[in-house]
Amino acid sequence: MLLEWMMNGHAILYTGVTLAFWSTILIVGLCYTIFDLGFRFDVAWFLTETSPFMWANLGIGLAISLSVVGAAWGIYITGSSIIGGGVKAPRIKTKNLVSIIFCEAVAIYGIIMAIVISNMAENFSGTTPDTIGARNYQAGYSMFGAGLTVGFSNLFCGICVGIVGSGAALADAQNASLFVKILIVEIFGSAIGLFGVIVAILQTSKRALLQQRRCKDRQSVRLTTPRCLRLSWAKTLNKRTAFWWLPTDVLQMLLI
Amino acid sequence: MASSRTTLLRRRRSSMALAVFLGLLSVLNAGTCDEQVPLLLWTSGGTSALSQAPPTAGHIVGQQQLAAYLENALNMGPKNVVLFLQDKMSVEDFTMYGGAFGNKQDSAFPNLEGALMSSSSPLVLPSVSWPASNAVIGQLQDQLETSPLYMDPETLSQLRLNASSPALLVFRLPYGVGSDLMSAKEILSGNDEVIGQVLSTMKTQAVPYTAIYTALRPSRDAVSLSVEAAVGGGRSLLQARGGGRDRDRKQRIKERDGVYAPVEFKEGEESCILLWAKGLSVSILRSGRWEDHDLTSSTFGEGVKPKLHGSICDKTRAKLVLNYDNVLGHRSFKLILAMSQRHYQVSARRWFTLDAVELEYDGTKATFNGSRNIYAPAEFSYRCESVTNFRWPLLVPRSAKDPANQWRVSFEDFQIQGFNVSGGEFSYASDCSGFFSPGIWMGLMTSLLMVLVLTYGLHMIMQLHTMDRFDDPKGPAISVPQTE
Repeated sequence: MLLEWMMNGHAILYTGVTLAFWSTILIVGLCYTIFDLGFRFDVAWFLTETSPFMWANLGIGLAISLSVVGAAWGIYITGSSIIGGGVKAPRIKTKNLVSIIFCEAVAIYGIIMAIVISNMAENFSGTTPDTIGARNYQAGYSMFGAGLTVGFSNLFCGICVGIVGSGAALADAQNASLFVKILIVEIFGSAIGLFGVIVAILQTSKRALLQQRRCKDRQSVRLTTPRCLRLSWAKTLNKRTAFWWLPTDVLQMLLI
Repeated sequence: MASSRTTLLRRRRSSMALAVFLGLLSVLNAGTCDEQVPLLLWTSGGTSALSQAPPTAGHIVGQQQLAAYLENALNMGPKNVVLFLQDKMSVEDFTMYGGAFGNKQDSAFPNLEGALMSSSSPLVLPSVSWPASNAVIGQLQDQLETSPLYMDPETLSQLRLNASSPALLVFRLPYGVGSDLMSAKEILSGNDEVIGQVLSTMKTQAVPYTAIYTALRPSRDAVSLSVEAAVGGGRSLLQARGGGRDRDRKQRIKERDGVYAPVEFKEGEESCILLWAKGLSVSILRSGRWEDHDLTSSTFGEGVKPKLHGSICDKTRAKLVLNYDNVLGHRSFKLILAMSQRHYQVSARRWFTLDAVELEYDGTKATFNGSRNIYAPAEFSYRCESVTNFRWPLLVPRSAKDPANQWRVSFEDFQIQGFNVSGGEFSYASDCSGFFSPGIWMGLMTSLLMVLVLTYGLHMIMQLHTMDRFDDPKGPAISVPQTE
């Protein structure tokens, strides 16, 4: 019976991955202990030596990919139910497309946040932790955090809306009056995706604010290369600068 | 006869290729002198000599070992020594011009090869460190107890040699590439002809002899891999470093045979602070130009005793003061390395840090902070390939207005220990570059993420099943009509 269970593909996959992961950790830990090199295990070194660009881009990647996974999963669940129910009750087809749209919105949140976050990544000069500066580390980590935030909340929002939408389609097929009530549940479900977007924007806006403050601080502008974001409303009236910052900054202004 | 000759040639060719490869490998040996010179020793045909085991692959023969080889050869073999001393030679010359690639007819060393093959026990040392090969005349002089006679092929024919009394005949061969527009191959062919002439003259005299062919200096600059180091002395792509810069630095920081004792500061009888480096230089920015001064020869080396007045050493602080005279126009110049150790709670361990590197001259003090990057557990020493304040800096000036901003300090292959020194030797060296570089960690993290994504994807794909709810194996097969 064990052999039968082992032949299951899932079992092989998960056993393999778990074994690889834990054995790596065990062997690395053993080596550190045996050679008395435990002092070289340094999380701070890892966090300061890895490039902020890696974290920022991981955040951007996770933002869009996890949102798309959530949206896709939701659409696949809802879509199958709508099409299946539509065989017996064709009237549900048009009305239930709104569930699909709720799922799609989740993917749109993801791509908007990915674009917003990627606009914040600029070049900096500096190779050692001292010259890179705390600000750039903070920017890297907050972009990673924002990407994670929006990615995971959209992932689960998409799945939630998908399952509820599927239930809505099947209930609607049975009894037309049930649809509106279930739609309320769906709306609550999609609100959680929006929460994720709001929190992600808060996380990265702090970074933008820090930059703006730095613009006034003459000394620090020399150390790092990013341009100052001109978000202040007074500058919008200044015709000289109005046009060249328009494309990149207006998007952020509209969102913040 | 022909087959043994081809096997010999093949062996010679493969040994030459191997020697080149070993020569290249030995360049990676960062500790000792980076450039070597080959040495060939053979006896005249017909004499039996002790056949000595060649050195192990990649081994660089030092002065003492060379003396042992020569002593063995001269004890058992003829005591008339003919020494062909070329200005410069490297193993690469043999590879390039020795017909090692199947083009024996182009070889520039026909006489040499003939001599080696006819000898009963030739000795080939592919890498002799060049200070040792420099000293070969002196060593032969000591062992034979005669003074060397510098000769030409013409004067040799006038000399009467005796088999019983030792003689040392030295033939200087040139290697002036580029000086009179002769290519290296022509020069080497010319030298080989001289060798041929000399050997035939010796044959007509019918005196058994031992012949040695070596050089004073290598003819090729070895690009040292150990010099340009990456972040804090970590690893780097070789293409990213400039090879030409290495050679410049080489010329400025004088090459030393890298075996010498560290600078030792003794408190009473026991060593308290140890410092070792392969190169140390300071530079000052004056009127837009950097002026260098190499302090290696006054600090490190065999028999060099730098002045350490003012150094102190106790349980928690250690200060090593190196005093110099006349550095870059300053009469008294001090290089101070200040270290401290204490217990750190989070890691529950004592660590020491190099707090500051100070340059004190004419009453001014330029201070570099090093505590951020240069630290190690108190029981160990700290070692780093490159400790500078300008190239992947580990030292930073204390403030923006500090005079240290006009200075550059550079230690090459730096090792220091300020506490818990036992027996005048360094403890285990905690290196500044770890096993995984930051790049490797980043790659591992991203790869792990990808593996997780892949696992999840595989899981999803594996749970797709074909719909079998309406399968009826006993029912009629589905027919799909072709026509509408």
